[in-house]
Amino acid sequence: MHNGHNGEALAASPEEVTQDILRKHREFTPRFKALVAVLAVLFLLGVVGFIIRLQDGFEHRVKWGYYAAVVVYLLTTAQAAPMVAIAPRLAKANWRRPVSRAAEMFGVVGLFNLLLFIPLLFLLPSTEGRRTIWFDGPSMSPHIWDTLAMVFLVLCGLAMLWAGSLPDMAAARDHSSGRRQGLFAKLAMGWRGTDLQWFLIRHRIGALASLYFMFLVFTHFLIASDFVLGLVPGWKDSIFPAFQALSALQSSIATMLVTMFVLRKWCGYERYIGLEQFWALSKLLLATSLLWFYFWWSGFIIFWYGRQPVEQNVISLIISGPYLPIFFTTFILNFIIPLVLLIWNAVRRSILGPTVVGCSILVGTFFDRIRLYVSAFSIEDVTAHALTVVPPAHTPDIADILIIIGALSGAGLSYALATKVFPVVNIWEIKEYMLLRVQAAFHRMEVTILAKPE
Amino acid sequence: MQQRVSLEDRQINRDLLRGVLEHPLWWFALVGFVGLVLLAGVISTGYMITKGIGVTGLNRPVMWGFFITNFVFWVGISHAGVMISAILRLTQAEWRRPVTRAAEVLTVFALMTAALHPVIHTGRPWRLLYWAFPYDFSRGIFVNVRSPLIWDPSAIFTYLTGSSLFVFVALLPDLAVLRDRTTGIVHHVYSVLCLGWRGTPKQWKLQTVAGILLSALILPVFVSVHSIVSWDFAVATSVEAWHSTIFAPYFVIGAVHSGVSAVVTMMALMRWLWKWDKYIRPEHFDALGRLLIVVSTTWFFFFFLEVLFGIYGQESPEIALREMQIFQWPWSMLFIIFLLTAYFIPVPLWLFPKVRRSITLMFWTSILVNIGMWLERFLIIVPGLARKQPLTFSWGTYHPSIIEILIVAASFALVAFLLLIFSKVFPLIPLFEQKEGQLFAKELRVGRKKVPAVIREE
Repeated sequence: MHNGHNGEALAASPEEVTQDILRKHREFTPRFKALVAVLAVLFLLGVVGFIIRLQDGFEHRVKWGYYAAVVVYLLTTAQAAPMVAIAPRLAKANWRRPVSRAAEMFGVVGLFNLLLFIPLLFLLPSTEGRRTIWFDGPSMSPHIWDTLAMVFLVLCGLAMLWAGSLPDMAAARDHSSGRRQGLFAKLAMGWRGTDLQWFLIRHRIGALASLYFMFLVFTHFLIASDFVLGLVPGWKDSIFPAFQALSALQSSIATMLVTMFVLRKWCGYERYIGLEQFWALSKLLLATSLLWFYFWWSGFIIFWYGRQPVEQNVISLIISGPYLPIFFTTFILNFIIPLVLLIWNAVRRSILGPTVVGCSILVGTFFDRIRLYVSAFSIEDVTAHALTVVPPAHTPDIADILIIIGALSGAGLSYALATKVFPVVNIWEIKEYMLLRVQAAFHRMEVTILAKPE
Repeated sequence: MQQRVSLEDRQINRDLLRGVLEHPLWWFALVGFVGLVLLAGVISTGYMITKGIGVTGLNRPVMWGFFITNFVFWVGISHAGVMISAILRLTQAEWRRPVTRAAEVLTVFALMTAALHPVIHTGRPWRLLYWAFPYDFSRGIFVNVRSPLIWDPSAIFTYLTGSSLFVFVALLPDLAVLRDRTTGIVHHVYSVLCLGWRGTPKQWKLQTVAGILLSALILPVFVSVHSIVSWDFAVATSVEAWHSTIFAPYFVIGAVHSGVSAVVTMMALMRWLWKWDKYIRPEHFDALGRLLIVVSTTWFFFFFLEVLFGIYGQESPEIALREMQIFQWPWSMLFIIFLLTAYFIPVPLWLFPKVRRSITLMFWTSILVNIGMWLERFLIIVPGLARKQPLTFSWGTYHPSIIEILIVAASFALVAFLLLIFSKVFPLIPLFEQKEGQLFAKELRVGRKKVPAVIREE
């Protein structure tokens, strides 16, 4: 590694890169098997927790608060992670190339989260007699539209993953034999790398990426409006859906930083995922962390300064009341730590620094989802005109803890299994980068010359 | 398609200093015309100060009209410079090179013009002192620092100072070129201004570091300025439709939308007036068009949230206000024009590369955006105030007087006037950026094709 680039990988021949990544893709190492086994056991524990929770029925929404928090947490982190492939791809940033597939593969976790989402529909009350973004529409509007949004988001994520993997599936087909070759031949959909196929893949990825971005923002808008704002009487907060979407962008970067660290450290991809990726993402993480504060403050100051009784009660519910310790934890983990660490270039330009900040944000966002969703699920009378009494904090029971462990393990398990279907490092994008980049002498320096095709 | 043109340093100097060293007739005609409009504005302001604020259309309950709308509009335009210069510099976007200076200068002049509006709006400008500065300590009368109306001047003057420094630091190498090409007293003035620039490696390094530092430092100021302007409205609870939590980012992104559009307008005019076809090329408009699609769509999403959560509460005063804004004549007409011009006409057009690469179409669509964005501010401010009181007999309306119209027209003339004067003294396209761009431009052979390439800055 030199000059912040993945020099070692780029110095190899394209065929070496293909062979190396496909070999890692094929291997079932003992470490991988152990990881899958542990995650599977933890996931089963979550299933037990879910069964215990089911015994309580769906009448008491507050009992499902932690369940809702973990589902939205996965929506905020894992399902937002493909943005780390989408945004730099639209901006034609080359550092994305080794990590774009790892980001897109979180689309598989979306499928798992879609299953977790189903019980939430039974907890959402009818819109009759309460304020919702659906006004006088059919009483089941949020149920229908939220489900459609989640389904389209997941389908779009999977389509984007598959469309972007076709050349690598063809490479896996050409470098394998037997049943494995048959499987990858089917997944590669007859990819031969013709001009037309390349033209189509670029346009498909571009269109799906734009769609995914729009669906992600739209889904967050719906979930934040229907599962938080709509359940708290008198809470009228136009920035909240945008704040949740922004929080998803911040968490997507944090998710990818931690994923990249794991891939580098324990999966043998250090040749491909280097300082360049961590450095680029840490700059974006600093920007989104500052925006996190800005969006939070923009909402807070209006309520705090206005001194309206309803708004003061909302502040008490989600900030200064029973969830104050959780709010402080979130504030420190999602804003103070990223700010204090990432303002230093030495920290940004390292592997460990951004990873530590990524972990901090992932934990902070988890607490934030608890603060917002458990508190909103604690409100019993959703048809009241205004919030007059702030309910006490709801503490998790054993079922909640098992559900949280199971949901997070299930997400990890689905991702781990997906790495054996799709090569986790994008082969064709790295090989393309090798074509577009040369090192050359410029006066007394050696510089990188980068081709910028249309 | 990238349309690079290979240019010698000498030719760059000759072409880009044309605005400073040559004196075409159209420049004098334009200065004369905008000077006349400006004069009309100055006379109107003088008349208003003499006769009192009664000569305007302002009356209870609408005490903020054209002046404050125009103030918010010009603060919005001032967001062009930082957006284009600071962010594109930090992200090393190559296409920024011909755009930066014009955007930065537009920022400074727009901000200066904006700052004039609250002064004019007071009707008795000297009373501004009582409002914004501490006075009469002996009687215990202090400025209310808890008011956003006090935060505003602090943010605006910090931004103005930062933006002026930004322009000056980026001007240094070009000032030295002008020093070397002038004689007599003008030569001495440029010598002083360029601070002994010789182009040594140390000077270049310092200038680059200063540019990056200022870019990073000015970004929070840039966000704070329009956020605070938005809080002038949003922290108030007495005016329906103003008390909205999305206002700060909604105003900031709206400002970027109108500011970047203003840069497009200016770029087209620069290309036509100074015949800088080799420097300001369709690819630059294409990049600005792409940026505008993202910015305007984000702005539209925030606008949607603002309106949706306005009526979400289903409170009758707010519903009545929104009905007036959207359905009652003449507000309905203004609302439709606003929506069409700020989003629904330009954005679908920008989706087509041919439109983005057509200078004429980009010019006219960028003008449309700013018509829409001016109306947006007007529709936020005036209808809310007209329905401010709960009792219907105290509702009111607003008709701008000719004095206000002339002063608003003069504000546009003032910005144009200052830009024309600036173009006579300093180059509007940075010479050193162009030369650096030429040095960094390369070509790579990829397969059978030659692809434009750049040397990547670390």
